[in-house]
Amino acid sequence: MSPTSLPAHARRGSRAGVRSHQAILVREQDSQHSGSGCCGRLGESHTELGKAADFSHSRARMEQMGEIYRALIDAAPDLDLVVADPRNIVWLYPAIWRAARNNGLGVGATLRSMGRAGAPVAVVVDGETLFSGRLPESETVVKAVLDRVALRFDA
Amino acid sequence: MPAFLLIVITMIAFYFAYRFYSRYLAEKVYRLDPNFVTPAHELRDGVDFVPTHKHVLLGHHFTSVAGAAPIVGPAIAVYWGWLPALTWVILGTIFAAGVHDFGSIVVSARNRGQNIGTLSGKVVSARASTLFLLIIFFLLTLVNAVFGVVMAILFEKNPGAVIPALIVIPIAIFIGQWAYRLGRSIIIPSILGLILLYIAIPIGQAYPIYVDGLAEAVGLSVRTTWIILIFAYTWIASRLPVWVLLQPRDYINGQQLIVALFVIFLGVLVGWDTISAPAVNEVAPNSPHWFPYLFITVACGAISGFHSLVASGTTSKQLDKETEARFVGYGGALGEGALALAAILACTAGLGAAGDWNAAYADFGAASGGALGNFVNGTGHFLSNLGIPATLGATFAAVVVITFAGTTMDTGVRLQRYILQEISELAGVKALSGRVNLLTTLAVLIPLGLALVPGGESASGKGFAFGRLWTLFGTTNQLTAGLALSIIGVWLLARNRNPLAALIPLVFLLFMTTWALLLNLVDFFQKGDWLLLVMDAAIFVLAAWLVVEAFTAFNRERMNPSAATADR
Repeated sequence: MSPTSLPAHARRGSRAGVRSHQAILVREQDSQHSGSGCCGRLGESHTELGKAADFSHSRARMEQMGEIYRALIDAAPDLDLVVADPRNIVWLYPAIWRAARNNGLGVGATLRSMGRAGAPVAVVVDGETLFSGRLPESETVVKAVLDRVALRFDA
Repeated sequence: MPAFLLIVITMIAFYFAYRFYSRYLAEKVYRLDPNFVTPAHELRDGVDFVPTHKHVLLGHHFTSVAGAAPIVGPAIAVYWGWLPALTWVILGTIFAAGVHDFGSIVVSARNRGQNIGTLSGKVVSARASTLFLLIIFFLLTLVNAVFGVVMAILFEKNPGAVIPALIVIPIAIFIGQWAYRLGRSIIIPSILGLILLYIAIPIGQAYPIYVDGLAEAVGLSVRTTWIILIFAYTWIASRLPVWVLLQPRDYINGQQLIVALFVIFLGVLVGWDTISAPAVNEVAPNSPHWFPYLFITVACGAISGFHSLVASGTTSKQLDKETEARFVGYGGALGEGALALAAILACTAGLGAAGDWNAAYADFGAASGGALGNFVNGTGHFLSNLGIPATLGATFAAVVVITFAGTTMDTGVRLQRYILQEISELAGVKALSGRVNLLTTLAVLIPLGLALVPGGESASGKGFAFGRLWTLFGTTNQLTAGLALSIIGVWLLARNRNPLAALIPLVFLLFMTTWALLLNLVDFFQKGDWLLLVMDAAIFVLAAWLVVEAFTAFNRERMNPSAATADR
């Protein structure tokens, strides 16, 4: 996908005088978070300890998200692209709330979007959760994100 | 003195520390470069290396470093009075943890996101990697032992917490099936799970679970029975796939952490309680002296070596700009300090009048064995300021600590299994290779043995050696921090920068740790605590080894700054 496939006016940045477009790729890091952080660290070869593939399911999702991430970077370099862990509740849910409300979503729709975003894997664009729980092929996800960004601007 | 004043003092200290000292570290010591291409950009793959906004990264970093240990240490340490405990938490956080966590991110980022284990081999010496593995082995053994005892104490003293703690298990299993097998969203079920857990608290109060009958039938004490049951549970839990129990519990724990911190600080604010503990306590004869024991009793909450694993394991790989290491690393350390402050407040202002406090902290055995109970009761009191009955509040606090400790043990036993496998492979013991059940059994039996060591240091003579066990855990945690500070110090020296910011906490920690280990050696010998004596001696050898490695590395860099530690 060429970098120009996202309309220039839909790109992030004050230089265009338009509001930022943000995509949040929600996926679990393949390591332990709360409750053991200060006394335990568990994960794959890139983390500190443990060679077993206990988190192989999370790893597979991380890798698929990596594919989507790279495709989006290529296609829309100005898109505000964030990768977040669903357990990062202090940042994730306020961020979705702000983005959704700023983009005109009603309270009910915003809450539904927040509820769907809190999955082991999810894709959120401008506060709206497009995919949750399971992802289709990466190309489908990338296309949906780019379409949504362009559509939102056109609307 | 109003407890709220301690919050104000601590927050002012943390504010100025962040404003000035962390800026000094950023500009003069680590010399952060806004134009430096971080590993997140250089190796950007969207998987491990992802440039991440500093607020997102702080959330990841903090939820990874926060746990139950910053609660237990301070809850014991107030035995010496609130002033020494609070002073160490504040100064330790500012001058040790901040430097350590911040520096670990920077050095790792300057070495393409390599972790502390790898960096110890590269920056300090090749032998340091083995040293790292051995320190972690002892650290995990002690982590599992102390948290087994922590849970047993809480179950014994709060039988109302048993049902809520047990209910977490089916809730987590359901959430795991819902999210990972069916591919559904997890946040709503986990919030509902949390609500169910809170509903179970009054049910647990109404139907407390005692194991006295079972204990009597098998001829063991109630606490020993609980410890054995907990380790049996841990064996099973650590053999399950992580998505069945461990990962879903992570969501519940994260939410519990936020709720607990919020209600404690709000309870203090609303209740305007006063500190009933003395500023400096006249401790009972034959008690460990605060100098040096305070500094190893409070590890997490003042400085924790495990933070370097998180800092270098994942955080450094996601740093967008090098200058943001200050916000994430130093800021995360301050957050952990705030958690320790909450524990100090619960155990000094939440226990009622001075007489109640004196009874709870009559001697070191009572203080260490009862620390968790004191935290739980103190938190219950703060919740009563918010209109929640104190007994329900206490059970709530017990459940928070139990769920954190249970998750820690699940992870700890898994990690210990891997390390045992690694050590057996290094030693050429093929009988253990790949035998997961046997390795898990060993990983459970070693800390179980330690957890069952009787102590008798309390006035009643019935206490477990929990305080001793906890300080041993503190020494291993401080040694891990010492290794990370050595790496940071050598790295600074190799760049002709002033290494004192890392060197001073390093020397302080190594001095306090080795001194406390020596005192423990004498004490264990005199009391005939042979298992603890062997453990202490082994850790002492590791500490001496670390001192030699650190000294040699510093000397080498001072005499001949080498390219061996060169990075970008």
